[in-house]
Amino acid sequence: MNSVLVVCKRELSSFFFSPIAYVILGVWSLFMGGFFSSAFMQYGMISMQLSRNPQLAAQYNITPTSWILSQQVFASVSVTLLFIIPLLTMKLFSEEKKQGTMEMLLTYPIKDIQILLGKFLSVVSVYILMLLILLVYPILLSTFVRVEWSVIATSFLGIFLMGSSFLAVGLLASSWTSNQIIAAMSAFMILLLSFIVEFLAASAPAIVSAVLRQMSIGLHFKSFVSGIIDTRDVIFFLSLIFICLFLSLRSLESHRWRG
Amino acid sequence: MISVDNVSKFYGNVEAVRGISFDVEEGEIVGFLGPNGAGKSTTMKILTGYMPASSGSAYIAGYDVSQDPLNVQKNLGYLPENNPLYPEMTVKEYLDFSASIKGLSNNEKSKSIGSVIEKCGLGNVQSRVIGHLSKGYRQRVGLAQALVNDPPVMLLDEPTSGLDPAQIVEIRNLIKELKGNRTIVLSTHILPEVNMVCDRVVIIHQGKLAAEGELDALADSMNEKNRTLLSVVGDKDIYSDVLKNIEGVETVRLRGVKNGEIHYEVDSVKDLRALLASSIYEKSGKLIEIKKESITLEEIFVKIVSGEINNTEESVDE
Repeated sequence: MNSVLVVCKRELSSFFFSPIAYVILGVWSLFMGGFFSSAFMQYGMISMQLSRNPQLAAQYNITPTSWILSQQVFASVSVTLLFIIPLLTMKLFSEEKKQGTMEMLLTYPIKDIQILLGKFLSVVSVYILMLLILLVYPILLSTFVRVEWSVIATSFLGIFLMGSSFLAVGLLASSWTSNQIIAAMSAFMILLLSFIVEFLAASAPAIVSAVLRQMSIGLHFKSFVSGIIDTRDVIFFLSLIFICLFLSLRSLESHRWRG
Repeated sequence: MISVDNVSKFYGNVEAVRGISFDVEEGEIVGFLGPNGAGKSTTMKILTGYMPASSGSAYIAGYDVSQDPLNVQKNLGYLPENNPLYPEMTVKEYLDFSASIKGLSNNEKSKSIGSVIEKCGLGNVQSRVIGHLSKGYRQRVGLAQALVNDPPVMLLDEPTSGLDPAQIVEIRNLIKELKGNRTIVLSTHILPEVNMVCDRVVIIHQGKLAAEGELDALADSMNEKNRTLLSVVGDKDIYSDVLKNIEGVETVRLRGVKNGEIHYEVDSVKDLRALLASSIYEKSGKLIEIKKESITLEEIFVKIVSGEINNTEESVDE
């Protein structure tokens, strides 16, 4: 366990040494802040119109939490992550392979799984930092209006699980190549595909459609945002993480064989 | 301390290492030689547990490299060929990282990091970023990380490649200092280095063990004839006849005349230096230099690589 933390610590310090850390955190804050403020202003206009028309208001039942956070901010998290996560994970193994430090690391008295978990833990920690930044907006909102913390909590659980599975995909892609660009692009393509299947499902035959829908990250994320924790969704994300970590471990092993 | 038993390694269809076996005793420094692509680095990588062998087995400090890599790696300090380092870390951070990952406790860590920094002469640069260091210093950092857990076995893959002559001397002295009771396998292309540092050599060629043994023994075994070099002053015709008539002398060759000194090369069945000298004095010749020519490591190496000696059985096998 200790070795896992040593690897994680090294990853983090090297991450914050490079400018990419600040670019990622900056872009994240900028995008989330942008989504929040535009949703906040739109909500102002909508609620004004609804207050003139009580019947419509009763029909839609729009609350600040559901409209600003769930429908606008949290819903745009997945697309933003689609672009950011590959940048976060691309260097994990690729850089070490390119530098040759991979060989060094693999000759230290440490198991492959510890290296893998250390690296995964490091990006998860950065991701948690990103979630803390995201938490600013519900807190900000709660100073103006009453918010539904339970929905926010399930949403954050969903965002955490979804993001972690993105990180695992990125880690896997990084374990394939010594080229960071290729690692980022492959992670991006896989993640993009997992969103596209949702649209493919719409026009596919029934059985195929059902399978495709189950593979869609977007659909599995949806219920978290509406305040529901569905065990199927939790299991989906956890197994995605597990599969990616397992394949990364195999990829490390094959790296040893090929030298 | 190190035992390699019939190890082979395939990269796809290419057999990089073909059934190599050798042993290294505790406290020995062994030079691991061979031309580029002979399989030196591959063998080292197998010994570190980084890469599994396709067949055969290897033991370090009594642990099987493939079965028990963690225990092997705990007893090992390894400096890979290109000395890969994390350029963004400072020297101290990096040593701290390798010490932690090698499982040293906090107390042991600060003590051993301090001592390797001193031993490797890194005091001035310990808080500098590795990416900004010169190659010589980087090489020391590589050695320092290998040493940080005070390992009984060290594998150094071309530790002096790419350094300038002054740095080479520094690193070489450092390696000599490391000797103590440590077992060191040193792969290199710089043959004089082997003469200076190593007790014994293992030479591999095309993935096979070509020769193994102590340097002197190896040289003797490859000297098919005793060759004596002698320099005299005077009339060269007289000397040729004198030398040729000595019993046991097979051939006499005139190597050249320079500044009035005549240089001869005499091949004989056994060492005839004393007889040669006294014979020359008897004829009132003026002998100014006599020495036995011993085959150098370079010559051994070239002979092996050029295929003059290709069966291991005939060379020393201890």
